[in-house]
Amino acid sequence: MANYFNTLPLREKLNQLGVCEFMDNAEFADGVNALKGKKIVVVGCGAQGLNQGLNLRDSGLDVSYTLRKEAIEGKRDSWKNATENNFKVGTYEELIPSADVVVNLTPDKQHTAVVNAIMPLMKQGSTLLYSHGFNIVEEGMQIRKDITVIMVAPKCPGSEVRAEYVRGFGVPTLIAVHPENDPEGKGLAQAKAYCVGTGGHRAGVLKSSFVAEVKSDLMGEQTILCGLLQTGSILSFDKMIEKGIDAGYASKLVQYGVEVITEALKHGGVSGMMDRLSNVAKIKAFEVSEELKDIMRPLFQKHQDDIMSGEFSRIMMEDWANGDKNLLAWRAETGETAFEKTPAGDVKIGEQEYFDNYLLMVAFVRAGVELAFETMVEAGIKPESAYYESLHETPLIANTIARKKLFEMNRVISDTAEYGCYLFDQACKPLLADFMKKVDTDLVGKNFNEGKDGSVDNRRLVEINEILRSHQVEVVGVKLRKAMTAMKAIKTA
Amino acid sequence: MLVLEDLNWTILSGENWLLGGNSGNGKTSLGKVIASLLPASGSIKITFNDTSKLPAKVLFVESWYQFKNLEGVANFYYQQRYTSQQAKETLTVKAELAYYAKEHHLNIADVESILNRLDFTSLQNSQLIELSSGEHKKLQLVKALWLKPQVLIIDQPYTGLDLKSRKNLNLLLDEAASAGVTLILISNDDDLPSSINRFATIVDKKLVAVNTKTDLQQFIPLRENKTIPAFLRTSPVYSSQQIAKMENIQISYGEKQVLKNINWEVKAGEKWLLQGHNGSGKSTLLSLINGDHPQSYANTLYLFGNKRGSGESIWDIKQHIGLISPEFHWYFDASATVWESIASGLYDSVGLFRQLPYSKSILVDELVEYFGLTEEKSRLLNTLPLGTQRLVLLARTIIKNPELLILDEPCQGLDKQQTKHFNQLVDELCSNGMTLIYVGHFESQLPNCLEKKIVLENGEVILIEELKTDKAYKQLKDYALNFEPSL
Repeated sequence: MANYFNTLPLREKLNQLGVCEFMDNAEFADGVNALKGKKIVVVGCGAQGLNQGLNLRDSGLDVSYTLRKEAIEGKRDSWKNATENNFKVGTYEELIPSADVVVNLTPDKQHTAVVNAIMPLMKQGSTLLYSHGFNIVEEGMQIRKDITVIMVAPKCPGSEVRAEYVRGFGVPTLIAVHPENDPEGKGLAQAKAYCVGTGGHRAGVLKSSFVAEVKSDLMGEQTILCGLLQTGSILSFDKMIEKGIDAGYASKLVQYGVEVITEALKHGGVSGMMDRLSNVAKIKAFEVSEELKDIMRPLFQKHQDDIMSGEFSRIMMEDWANGDKNLLAWRAETGETAFEKTPAGDVKIGEQEYFDNYLLMVAFVRAGVELAFETMVEAGIKPESAYYESLHETPLIANTIARKKLFEMNRVISDTAEYGCYLFDQACKPLLADFMKKVDTDLVGKNFNEGKDGSVDNRRLVEINEILRSHQVEVVGVKLRKAMTAMKAIKTA
Repeated sequence: MLVLEDLNWTILSGENWLLGGNSGNGKTSLGKVIASLLPASGSIKITFNDTSKLPAKVLFVESWYQFKNLEGVANFYYQQRYTSQQAKETLTVKAELAYYAKEHHLNIADVESILNRLDFTSLQNSQLIELSSGEHKKLQLVKALWLKPQVLIIDQPYTGLDLKSRKNLNLLLDEAASAGVTLILISNDDDLPSSINRFATIVDKKLVAVNTKTDLQQFIPLRENKTIPAFLRTSPVYSSQQIAKMENIQISYGEKQVLKNINWEVKAGEKWLLQGHNGSGKSTLLSLINGDHPQSYANTLYLFGNKRGSGESIWDIKQHIGLISPEFHWYFDASATVWESIASGLYDSVGLFRQLPYSKSILVDELVEYFGLTEEKSRLLNTLPLGTQRLVLLARTIIKNPELLILDEPCQGLDKQQTKHFNQLVDELCSNGMTLIYVGHFESQLPNCLEKKIVLENGEVILIEELKTDKAYKQLKDYALNFEPSL
């Protein structure tokens, strides 16, 4: 199979990368009608599979699960998840032929095998739904021409998808229709109905394309979301230990700091986060992040280039073929870092202290969010998509680090994200070696404001505020955040 | 906000105190101050007994128990315990107790008898998320009675406990007291351990000691009688005479069966009392009616005239119902304001996500006024005392003038006046034709309108009977002219 994106002429590449529209509430007035009475069969019953299915059924839709024979016979967890919640479960042969919509919620790695197994069984004119476009775009999977191919991707872990639905809300969601497979023109109506069924329509829906979703999703997760948070966390911890800061304190500051800092990002964007610092600290964080942007820009560009050319997916698929040799080795290495092995100390760190004593992370986050956003937009991705895949998701990933450090982050994210995260981390650390030599505890571990009288140059401060607020990620962010009302505050331990 | 001021209190050895009085008077804050959980100016001196074997500690048992998942996050939703998930997110009771033993250097063998006496032994392998609210309360009490600190302060010790557990708890508390534990109970209940020998309340931010527990009542402010808002004085509009019908309902999690062969029918306008001891399956039964239980799809269940699983959404079901339960309060979005919380009842959401039209927002205003919450209407729920939060959620249940009111221990945390008034309100609403399912353990705290009773034991119906019609309610009902529930 050939990489689908690479088969397209340049015009069409740009066309598909540029699909991006924030949908109005009125577009969902028809509710779940386009799927009412249709048989929805979900392949796989892990966290996303189970929770999306529970929501769809509670919205009045007909949902059942199909699993591989071995999973059913072995009464594996996926089988238990589905049967104990009273869903009908059957093999591919039993359920796929009568399905109107087949929802593929298996891990990326299994997509080719799964789709090859189910496609011959799917009935004429049915629909295949993905929640990630990797298989279509990067692996170039060809779907039978009578089948409609759509994507509905809730931008949150499965447990959140359920929790938000039952409280009467939802999670931000991205939808798309594959232009090569919309024979009856019903793709968009079905994607919207599915979105209503999972509650996503209440929290902001972005209409995208398979191509835009994949290329921006890969970029975001490899750079700002996972890669940079991992690099920044490890370097910050190591620096504090080197400078004699108490290990328990350092561990706690890093583990929870990124969550507290990005909570401000979630509500007020980059400038909202920077505003949590005193004026002197803000100027310092601005300068440090400018320097970080200069150092890291080539690396961000390399990641985007490799994603666009298909080079990234090619080497990752080589590792799949190799039994995940690299992935497993890198995962083990991450588990051995000093940060990972030092438990958070039993010390109280106040909310503001996380900003004042962890200025370095504020600078990392600003640099990472802006760089990822800028690089994506330069590559032809629309600002709204770039916002979702950079700034919007950062607090969600930070939340996983607060739970159980980098191990937890890498466990929760997909293998694809994890693989890209390690690639970034390995390249980024040497790049920052000289920079880190200059860093002292005023940037990480101690209060930056200590011993300073707090006076600043007015013109400089105004200039910096202006630069921060006029960045495109802020302009588009203000608009999108307004639509995503009532975001729940992430609780901190 | 200043809660306590110039407050002096001396507790002598051998004294065991009840701290009572109206909801929101500062009882909980005082307990927390003594346990150093809240900062306060002034001084607190505690002289521990050096010769005692009991730990020289002050333990404050919170009225709410916030458990966490394995990653240390307390981020659950109230329907979660009805969903089967193989990925286990919380500890088992056994693991939680082992952890507690390690943390406080306790001997695990010593907890056995306490578990037995509070009927908790069979729950050792349950996940924390699977416990009912009464069972969570028991777990808190088990830990406190196991630790036996020299000073034990318990905020609302009886919340959600059935009659038998409550008696056993009192015996256990008496034993602790005679072993040298100084007790301070924060409660408005009547059946107390016999070791309680001092009584106090807080009036105008200061402690007032009285001679008996009945003397405490005089300090609870009487509430003026207000007429209920006009929109609640009409019969709800029924879509069907059949509210709920269950045929041979079975609910189980793996091997564990929690409801067995349940047959029950609730018709429009009926007023039911639902009873059963802790863990008997009451909340699970109610979750079926409220559209919250995933296993309702495999059972024969009719709600508001429609068979469950015939294409309706849970929102179609919930629009007929106003519900409150301890779990619902527990998991409610505490970062919403009072006004928003009440308004969210119009859409059955936890927190308000839409703009209200004017015609609806005036109803919310009326109800805020009726419940005496005007001053607090813009405050966040989590900044208010639990009793006030509870009133807010009670207001939320009736804002729709729903066909069915499900009140699962609605008066937890309210003082006696508030309970009395709320039950009067329930009587009045019911006299207009509202259907009611009420869960309450204490006969003295029930509304008068109840006509029928269903009792569960170990997941089975053991009794369905008619209750004697209360005279006062009958009169009230006769006044309500338009009783006939309209179809």
